[in-house]
Amino acid sequence: MSATDVVGILVTTFILGSIYGLVAIGMTLIYGALRILDMSQGSMVMIGSFVGWGVLVVAGWNPLVAILLAFAATFLLGTFTQLVSVQPLMKRRHEIDFEMITFITTFAVAIVFTNLALEILGPQQRNVTFVIAGGINVYNGVNLPYQSLAMALVSIVLMAGLGVFLARTRWGMAIRAVAQDLDAARLMGVPVGKLYPLTMGLASALAGIAGVFLGGLYFASPQAGDQPLLIALIVVIFGGLGSLPGTVYAAYAIGFIQATAEVVVGTTWALPILYAVILLVLIVRPQGLMGKPSEARL
Amino acid sequence: MTTPILAVSDLSAGYGDAPVIRGLGITVEPGEVAVIIGPNGHGKTTFLRAVSGLLKPSRGEVLLDGEPVAGRTPEYISGLGLVHIPQGDGLFAEMTVEENLLMGAFPGSAWRSRRRALARVYELFPGVRDRARQRARTLSGGERRLTALARGLMRQSRIMLIDEPSLGLAPVAIDTVYGAIAELKASSTTILLVEENFTHVGGIADTVHIVEMGTIARSGSFDELSRDPTIVGTYLGSL
Amino acid sequence: MIARGLFPSMTRARWAGVAALIVLVAAFPLVYDNQYILTVIITGLVLLVLNISWNFVLGVAGVWNFGQLAIYALGGYGAGILMLHTPLPPWLAVLGGGVIAAVISILLAFPTLRLYGIYTSLLTFAFAEIVQYVILNDGSGLTGGSYGFPTVPGLYSSLSPDASTRAYYWTVLGVVVVSTAGLAAVGHSHLGIAVRAVRDAPAYTAARGVSPLRYRVIAFAISGFLAGIAGALYISFNQSISPSAMGLTPMSIDVTMLVIGGLGTVFGPLIGTALLTIVQTALVDHPGIELTILGTFLLIVVVFVPGGLVGLITRTRNRVAAWAAEGEGTGEETAGAAEAPAPVPRGDPR
Repeated sequence: MSATDVVGILVTTFILGSIYGLVAIGMTLIYGALRILDMSQGSMVMIGSFVGWGVLVVAGWNPLVAILLAFAATFLLGTFTQLVSVQPLMKRRHEIDFEMITFITTFAVAIVFTNLALEILGPQQRNVTFVIAGGINVYNGVNLPYQSLAMALVSIVLMAGLGVFLARTRWGMAIRAVAQDLDAARLMGVPVGKLYPLTMGLASALAGIAGVFLGGLYFASPQAGDQPLLIALIVVIFGGLGSLPGTVYAAYAIGFIQATAEVVVGTTWALPILYAVILLVLIVRPQGLMGKPSEARL
Repeated sequence: MTTPILAVSDLSAGYGDAPVIRGLGITVEPGEVAVIIGPNGHGKTTFLRAVSGLLKPSRGEVLLDGEPVAGRTPEYISGLGLVHIPQGDGLFAEMTVEENLLMGAFPGSAWRSRRRALARVYELFPGVRDRARQRARTLSGGERRLTALARGLMRQSRIMLIDEPSLGLAPVAIDTVYGAIAELKASSTTILLVEENFTHVGGIADTVHIVEMGTIARSGSFDELSRDPTIVGTYLGSL
Repeated sequence: MIARGLFPSMTRARWAGVAALIVLVAAFPLVYDNQYILTVIITGLVLLVLNISWNFVLGVAGVWNFGQLAIYALGGYGAGILMLHTPLPPWLAVLGGGVIAAVISILLAFPTLRLYGIYTSLLTFAFAEIVQYVILNDGSGLTGGSYGFPTVPGLYSSLSPDASTRAYYWTVLGVVVVSTAGLAAVGHSHLGIAVRAVRDAPAYTAARGVSPLRYRVIAFAISGFLAGIAGALYISFNQSISPSAMGLTPMSIDVTMLVIGGLGTVFGPLIGTALLTIVQTALVDHPGIELTILGTFLLIVVVFVPGGLVGLITRTRNRVAAWAAEGEGTGEETAGAAEAPAPVPRGDPR
């Protein structure tokens, strides 16, 4: 492996890791706060990428509009998802296997969104072309495109913003409270009926923005939600379900593994290697980097 | 005749099919400190949970300052001025003491005056103030209990429900906690307190209710009941 | 007599109904010779065997195993390899496929024991994805990679195409009947009770000395074997198999079939598979609409009709029976109650 390869890996790690972090952070937020593994996050990425396509390619507006519209659209859809796939189950949450049932219901919503998109938009891939051209020559031919750099930076800013929101604001604290002790939070007057949809909306919105970026890096298509979902699952397990810092570290770790695998064994085997890694993690240390062992193991 | 702050009648509630409390009735007048005593498993905690909305009663009525609240959500009931300090404190383990206190002022009106409430609470509980930046899970049992009480004071309340404040604490800590409760009583806070036995409640209890098998077996003033040898024998070796 | 003991909820009327149904279905190819329809039904029946196996591990044993499709496919590939590369007669190759699948399934059982539900589903899912990927990118020629397995003779290559179709029809139907009856019997047996006890109250049963390991391994072995047989039947009938038999989409469809029918019930897989096969066939040219409808059904059933269609039927029947037999306390009521579907499995204790 040459020095160029190494630098290339680091650049890819930085870009992919930042975007993967954005994709996965919503999922870990939802799990931490609501104990739901939201399988519709992948379809939110897909919807975001189509918003990106619509805004940038069809309408010709600038990327900022794409980001804002993707945020709005997926925020609303995420709230809607919570209302149809989780809210009706809340009354029975102690009598049923809530985690598994919501796994299935959010998954059902994902199926509906994906296939509606398939019917309405057709299966073909659309290119999402960004406006910013050019890049930095980092080292000996390894190019860091300005648009990828922008995507990575925006992702980092958003993740940091989420952290600040959770740490410093009233509703952010309320979300953390619900994550730690739902009953106590209710006794404090936290309106969980509003908090749940809001949290899922917020998480979906972050995934939607990541979708704009991934659409730009690759393409937009109705099936393009499956892989981000799987990546998000891999990242959150590796980082520890529910741990935000864990997810961020894991995102870069997974980006690194993928980048390295692509150089060493080629793109085809990169994804199965990730699966093999996660299989190993689930057998040896299911709580991941920063999760609690008691939550994963019997 | 003043409206009781809390009027419970014929309350039944439980988990699953079997009711833990049945036909339970109690009233608490403004400014009163009512204490519920009883053996474990006989429904004391279940009762408080049914009043604060964590548990939905299957039957019966709960009036908070005249307003019916049975079956409403805990968020709603707490919004009406009920503070419930649950067994085990209900602190947010990963948050700091100050964050916990701020959560106590979550409702809109309380939130706006949270800084003032925080200052007042820190004055009343200097021990808590000293630990403001500490994570709740690193506190000792007594410190947790005081923090929970302090948090309960972060907003205006009509009644405070306190579930077994002495649970798991060393005697010295218990004295501190009950000292704080006594101060609350002195400032005319209406309190409904639950304990397993008589040991500590002598100084503060206005009325004592004995719960057995999910219903009130006897009520009376502390002096009255402490003179009854059978009760004393059951709930306290000697006074 | 034996049947009465094995199937306590079956009344004479029900036996008659089931027997009539089997006779009707079996007679179908003699009356209606449309090859396309027969192929659709056979494909549906093969899927039904898979779903019966999955229903056992998912619904009865309560293990959120999302690797079942991979095991099914591995059974098919295994049988194919045995047919092409060994002198084994096709029947034994089919059984061999079942055995191979059972072994792999047992191996999968072990790591799932220590994990909570969600993690088990992700572990088994990762396993399934790896299997699919490895096969897709297999350049060695053994599995045929993404082109599909090389043609195998199958079970009835010596017969004419029409006769062969009919032979497959009755064979798979036979497997469906035997496996449904067999698993229903198991469900009522000591084994079934133990498996369900481990599902519903793992801590309690462990404290009583019932080994969760043993019963989970048994459940995985049975369901794995049956799934492998289904896969072997698939490759025999279609004379090939490809990685598209696995994957997220077929899995979503199968899970929907199970849930809509009623997880953990005897007839749930039948109703779910039949219903969705009809929907699928009707909408075969519009996969987008088909899956949208499926997804919506899944959501509605899980949220509003717990216990699936079998649960709904049972509850309706109970209500009708209670209304009709007011004050009489007939056996009809208890029969209905015994048929009641297992509640959706509860989570592991925390």
